[in-house]
Amino acid sequence: MYICVMYSSELIKGTLKTIVLKLLSETKQMYGYEITQRVKELTGDKIQITEGALYPTLHALEKDGVVTTEVVNIGKRIRKYYTLTPKGKLNATDKVNEFADYINTMKFLLDIKPQVG
Amino acid sequence: MYVLSEQQIDFILNDIKLRGVEMEDLQSNLLDHICCIIECELEPDGDFEKFYQKTIPKFFKTELKEIEEETILLLTFKNYYAMKKSMIVSGTISVVMLIAGSILKILHWPGAGPMLTLGILISSLVFLPLMAILKNKEISAKKDKLVLVLGTLVGILFSQFVLFKVMHWPGATIFLFSFISLGALVFLPIYFFTGIRKPETKVNTITSSILLVMVFGLQFTLINTRPAKNLLQIKMYTYLQGEDLLATMQRQADNSEKIKPDTKKLITDINSSCQQIKNLIMTYTIGQSTLPKNFEEQGILMEEVGLGPDFFENGRGQKLLTDLKAAIIKYNSSETNKIPVEQSILNIEPDKIERYSNLAVLSSLTQLQLGLANSERN
Repeated sequence: MYICVMYSSELIKGTLKTIVLKLLSETKQMYGYEITQRVKELTGDKIQITEGALYPTLHALEKDGVVTTEVVNIGKRIRKYYTLTPKGKLNATDKVNEFADYINTMKFLLDIKPQVG
Repeated sequence: MYVLSEQQIDFILNDIKLRGVEMEDLQSNLLDHICCIIECELEPDGDFEKFYQKTIPKFFKTELKEIEEETILLLTFKNYYAMKKSMIVSGTISVVMLIAGSILKILHWPGAGPMLTLGILISSLVFLPLMAILKNKEISAKKDKLVLVLGTLVGILFSQFVLFKVMHWPGATIFLFSFISLGALVFLPIYFFTGIRKPETKVNTITSSILLVMVFGLQFTLINTRPAKNLLQIKMYTYLQGEDLLATMQRQADNSEKIKPDTKKLITDINSSCQQIKNLIMTYTIGQSTLPKNFEEQGILMEEVGLGPDFFENGRGQKLLTDLKAAIIKYNSSETNKIPVEQSILNIEPDKIERYSNLAVLSSLTQLQLGLANSERN
């Protein structure tokens, strides 16, 4: 469900939660469009999150009690802002640490030499 | 930056709904998202319509609805699709089995019983609950959930009633009564008053309710609340009178001098087989081996029913019938006065007798015995 310019979808599948949680832990609150734009901006368009992947994940996070929402009226439409709960903050740290550890293991497993220069 | 008008926002929301997204939360999320994209990326004097039609396909692979399906999948349970697949598979299997079972039954071929039993069991105990669980996840109102659960329960009870009835298992009536009472007195009123309050379901609810009343009503007419007692009693009295006549004729035959000693054993065998089959049927019908003369005072009523597979469950009825047939053939080949067997139960294949009614078989047996006593008396 990802549109990604650089990476295969299998590669990024499973990291979307981590990405969303990390972004939310750095900002007080964000809405869906903002999240996609921020990811695009931070990765230099290398990773583009699609709506088809983002919203199901946000709804699932909300149900798990990891994020709470606040509804703000923007003219005729409403905008849902997502905020991490205390549980979500712990969750975000765990997820990021877990992924960092995973990268180290993969480096070793796939014998990736650190790039010089 | 492009500024969206209210009509344009309404148009987008409507389009999202038309594309099958039903969750309100998701609708508003997607609406805001699309509006943001348009506001940020479309030139102030750009063509809204054209830009929108170009943007929306970026949201999905085949249709917008898949975002909602993905959301439901994540929200409910991971095995949503597995359950949906099992539901479709079990539904297909049970339908095929029910049709195959019905064809086998009409043709009187073997295997109809197991086929129908499995078909009904799968459809009522696998397909219906799975359907209810999956449907339950899609609706949120408590009342709708109640209607769903009750409806499923009524469906299961009805299936069990049909199954027990077809298989002649005891307890079918309990299922029938619980199906009718739960369906007509609990489910129907709740369904009707829940549906009629919502304008969008009002007409549908009324027509469905009328159809349901018809179904329950027709089913109710099938209940034997007070069986035609008199007719059955006449049949029972006729049976007792036949037995009396038989006893008298047998006494006369016993006193007859012309009976050869080796025939005597054959006669005893035939009478004993007949009596044992009668006892078996009587036990199956009224729970005791003989019909008492004062059955009316005792409140005993012999319902006329098919013998059913029960009659042969232990193989006894079938064996007795085969013995009886052999003995009568032997008797008829050695004696000048033959027992009339045309159109009697002896012409029925023993494994097909389950289709005949208990009263008919009883009376046919008595006729055979009368024929025997008569041929010995002369």
